Amino acid sequence: MLEVKNLVKTFQSGDTKVAATNDISFKVPDGQFASIVGRSGSGKTTLLSLLGALDKPTSGSIVVGDKDVTRMRDHELITYRGRSIGFVFQSYNLVPSLTALENVMLPMEFAKVPKQERIERAKALLLEVGLAEDQMERKPGRLSGGQQQRVAIARALANRPKLILADEPTGNLDSTTGKMIFDLLHTLSRKENTTIVVVTHDLEIAGKTDKVFQLDDGKLVLTK
Amino acid sequence: MNPVSRGIRNAFRNGIRTASIILILGLSIGLSLTMLVAQKAVDNKIKSVKSSIGNTITIAPAGFNPGSSANNALTTSQLKKVQALAHVSSVEETLSDRLPTTGSSMPSFGGRSSSESSSTTSLSSPTTLNFGSGSRGGHFFINGGAASGTAPTTFSLPVSFLGTTDPGTVDDATLTLKSGTVISGTSNTDTALISGKMASKNNLKVGSTFTAYDTKLTVAGIFSTSNQAAQGTVVLSLPALQRLSGQSGAVTSATATVDSLDNLSSVTSAIKKTLGSSADVTSAEEQADSTVAPLNSVKTVSTFSLIGAVLAGAVIILLTMIMIVRERKKEIGVVKAIGGSNLRIISEFMVESLTLAILGAIVGLLIGVIGGQPVTKMLVNNSTSTPSSSSSVQTMGFQRAGGGSFGGDFGGQRSAVATNRPAGGFGGRVRSNGAVKSLSNIKAQVGWSILLEGFGAAVLIAVVGSALSAAMISRVRPSIVMRAE
Repeated sequence: MLEVKNLVKTFQSGDTKVAATNDISFKVPDGQFASIVGRSGSGKTTLLSLLGALDKPTSGSIVVGDKDVTRMRDHELITYRGRSIGFVFQSYNLVPSLTALENVMLPMEFAKVPKQERIERAKALLLEVGLAEDQMERKPGRLSGGQQQRVAIARALANRPKLILADEPTGNLDSTTGKMIFDLLHTLSRKENTTIVVVTHDLEIAGKTDKVFQLDDGKLVLTK
Repeated sequence: MNPVSRGIRNAFRNGIRTASIILILGLSIGLSLTMLVAQKAVDNKIKSVKSSIGNTITIAPAGFNPGSSANNALTTSQLKKVQALAHVSSVEETLSDRLPTTGSSMPSFGGRSSSESSSTTSLSSPTTLNFGSGSRGGHFFINGGAASGTAPTTFSLPVSFLGTTDPGTVDDATLTLKSGTVISGTSNTDTALISGKMASKNNLKVGSTFTAYDTKLTVAGIFSTSNQAAQGTVVLSLPALQRLSGQSGAVTSATATVDSLDNLSSVTSAIKKTLGSSADVTSAEEQADSTVAPLNSVKTVSTFSLIGAVLAGAVIILLTMIMIVRERKKEIGVVKAIGGSNLRIISEFMVESLTLAILGAIVGLLIGVIGGQPVTKMLVNNSTSTPSSSSSVQTMGFQRAGGGSFGGDFGGQRSAVATNRPAGGFGGRVRSNGAVKSLSNIKAQVGWSILLEGFGAAVLIAVVGSALSAAMISRVRPSIVMRAE
């Protein structure tokens, strides 16, 4: 269960304070697929950063499972991000010097998973997301956008996180590939019983999720 | 993949850049190593020069000028006070003189009077001079004291007489007795030691007699030595020469031996205090300091160059790592977002920095091995040939003194000359020129200790150079990954 209560994040802009998220509260049960939609600058990315413990809120709480993320210390947040959260980014953000396989193994390495287990799970995940075995040893520069995003999804699933946060995962892909990636996320969330929150501006994709939240000037409204 | 293998792999992400950095870093580390090699070589040379000189103190009359008759000699009574000082184990006293050969004519020299003594000796010097022919009737140039004049056909070099309390040593050269017996330095008998060359030149053997100071002297022993000055010297006991030359109690130079090197400085001060302004007192330590002064300047130059080169290397790595961190800021954010700790990321960057530094060190090592010896030689040669260096001053000081002493000899001047002391004479020449030659003869070696220190410097460069980048890494926020490209 992801539970957000009275979440506020303000930024100082000159003499005035701007609220990127303004008293946001919502819940997403385990295994559900939720989407957040909104126009550019509405605070979608800020909200995703807060949910992923990449940034700290001004006030409010974010509870994932039974842990309040906002009360965690820095070193606890590192572990939390590594083991409980999976990220999928619009620009894939794979490590360019590592192969596809090594990229998927990286979060497991941080989580101190034994090497052999890392290799086996990474290969299994890459096969699951549809990457051919001969492509696993390729570096990101030699993979297409769709293939890179598949690797990113495999990496996000590596440590069996409770929550996957995806920021415009289909934004850089053509519509066919985007649809395939979205379906892949959907399938995997069902299979692994993982909660997924995806930020998108694509209403068609958002319509396929279990819950849809509309973010407008820092205020969140449940629309589905 | 652990941080070490990732760090090493990251160092080769951009081949051209990595090669450039390694080359520049190699030059910097190579210069550091070269300077380190030079510094060690110079250090070893300084130690060797200092350790070879020993724990002696040279005492000469103040402002002694070998060519002048106005010198004030030291006295035996003054030196007794020196002998009585604490930590002085012995004092060797000498009196030097020269006599022309009976019947020998003296050349005339511009501006120099040359007929003070009427004493002569029946001995002829074993040393011969070849005169060139010309309008001036022969000319010669001796050690900076230019002397030109007419050389008489009956001319022969004067004979040196040395009265000493230690007849076993002349001009710092140990004499080896070939036949006869050694005379006592404190006896007052008309006996002498002469060199094999002197004996051969004058058809003398043990028990033969010759005249000097209108006195018949007996050859007590014949010695051999490689020192040319000593070969032309007649050795007597100090009291005997003082009596014969009419210089009762006079001493032209003395050498005090101190019981321990630790006491050298304090005893030197005590002797200076005892003798006051009447004597020039120079310890072996001071002589060594003066001799190695050019090396000390080389050491200073190499130390500053070493520091400069290490700093340059550190700055190269520092700027490189800052550039790399700035380039990979987003990647650092991604790694942090997926669970990578600051320590882990910093370790990777430090390994990367270390890899570059070690590869630079290997290139630098080659430069150091190739350049160490020639650079050290060049630094030492430049330093020891500088006119203002104290070594050269010492050499020039000798030349003046040497020239003067010859002038005195040719003029038949009867003066007390310290032939075996740094104030001038043959001994001074041999010692100071030898010291300068010896300074140039420096050997620079790249040993294991230098290699280890070189690698130590490389590690230091890497650590210092990556320190700022580490601080930058720790400040990268993982939320940077959410920013659009």
